[in-house]
Amino acid sequence: MTAPLTTGLTQELAAAVDALRRVTVRVQASGAAASGAGVLWDPGGGDDTRGLVITNAHVATRAQATIQFSDGAVAQARVVARDRRRDLAALELEVRTAAGVAQLRGAPLLRVGELVIAIGHPGELTGAATLGIIHTTGGDRAGRTPPWIRADLRLAPGFSGGPLADAGGRLIGISTMMHGGLALAVPAALVQSWLRRAPAPAAA
Amino acid sequence: MTTLLESLSNELATAVEAGGRAVVAIHARRRIPASGVHWRQGVIVATNHTINRDENVTVTLPDGTTAPVTLAGRDPSTDLAVLRLAGQSLATAHLRLDPSPSVGEFVIALGRPGPRLTASWGVVSSVAGAWRTWRGGEIDSLLRLDVSIYDGFSGGPLIDAAGRVLGINSSGLARGAPVTIPVATVERTVGELLERGTIRRAYLGIGTQPVRVPQSLARRLELKNTVGLLIASVEPGGPADRDGVLLGDVLLALDGADVSDPTDVLAQLGGDRVGRPIAAMVIRGGQMQTLQVTPGERPEPRAA
Repeated sequence: MTAPLTTGLTQELAAAVDALRRVTVRVQASGAAASGAGVLWDPGGGDDTRGLVITNAHVATRAQATIQFSDGAVAQARVVARDRRRDLAALELEVRTAAGVAQLRGAPLLRVGELVIAIGHPGELTGAATLGIIHTTGGDRAGRTPPWIRADLRLAPGFSGGPLADAGGRLIGISTMMHGGLALAVPAALVQSWLRRAPAPAAA
Repeated sequence: MTTLLESLSNELATAVEAGGRAVVAIHARRRIPASGVHWRQGVIVATNHTINRDENVTVTLPDGTTAPVTLAGRDPSTDLAVLRLAGQSLATAHLRLDPSPSVGEFVIALGRPGPRLTASWGVVSSVAGAWRTWRGGEIDSLLRLDVSIYDGFSGGPLIDAAGRVLGINSSGLARGAPVTIPVATVERTVGELLERGTIRRAYLGIGTQPVRVPQSLARRLELKNTVGLLIASVEPGGPADRDGVLLGDVLLALDGADVSDPTDVLAQLGGDRVGRPIAAMVIRGGQMQTLQVTPGERPEPRAA
């Protein structure tokens, strides 16, 4: 029996996961026991001297954090903005790696039922992947970006701050928590607008 | 690069969209609304256990508008309820009667616990034959799902990858585990509820519990089946009482079929049995005896 479709899907999924893993880092707040994930983010303005990592505020709990890249390399980073209400934190790296940055999905809008992929570091694992679908879309008011992306997807501890991406490997959000059996992620668009407004550098 | 994966993703989203056009929110209980499916023109199917009132029931349509509906009937035994919706143009569900779902098939559970459509996905984890719910309802096949369920999903459809409805999901039939009531069962029940408002079921008015017949007695009576049902209660004035069934009788067979579990009795009590005598073989005072009992129609349990 040959299964060309499934074989193709499996290869594509593996390739998408690989690409996402390269822009996913481990974030270990200085002195903290637990670690989480983070996403290498385009700092904008054509700045190629420093790197930017986005994660959850509940992951970057201290002013400093150790960042481990997918190739195992380690660098120190400093929190430049932190917002507990949105559960977002931005960390600045002294170096910019060759790993690249996450590709964001602009248009089109998310559709209920479309596939999503999350990458995280549960327990001893690094770069684990889970697959799910968009559970629901739309905010409380039409035309506004909803505060959360809700996905039918299982996130384990260690996925916090990591990427949630579409079937094309484009980033749609930052995985943040499980709530009522659903995975909740901060939409990438909200991260972008938060970064534009965030005071930098911010007191941690 | 990821054409197949993206195509799959698009197809799933398209199936959700197509299926979601016939999914409504049902407002008939406190807190979170439940879901329902526009099954036929003007007919909405929902789950009985999520409808806590008979009046002032409304639905939220896919376009966000709210409309009143009237309860046409409900059947606690299959956990289905039928509502009538008047004067709305709304897509009806695309039903898939054949082929029946297969184990491992991709499926999506849709819900609308409010204005927005929700979806969760997974696979059919097992398909088995006809079964009887704890309230005596006859379900054509047992569909178990490997799908996460969320508040308000009961009454929503299970759809296939093409958006066709495979059944109505309920968490009210198997201790909260998701079960899908297949299309064939829904069709039959909807037809009967629209016609009569209730599902006709036969009953005898007895309470039973399984007992093992002592070996010596079983040998003397030449019994093959040594487990019978002790009549532990007889409803005064009920069909069994009228026909001479006594407390302490041990029921061995109904209409020639062995009974060793209370569900075996329920299996003999379909709606077509009402008013038709059946032979009940019992042990009474150490002797075999055959009684003719005529099931009556089960009174509707009153909703709380």
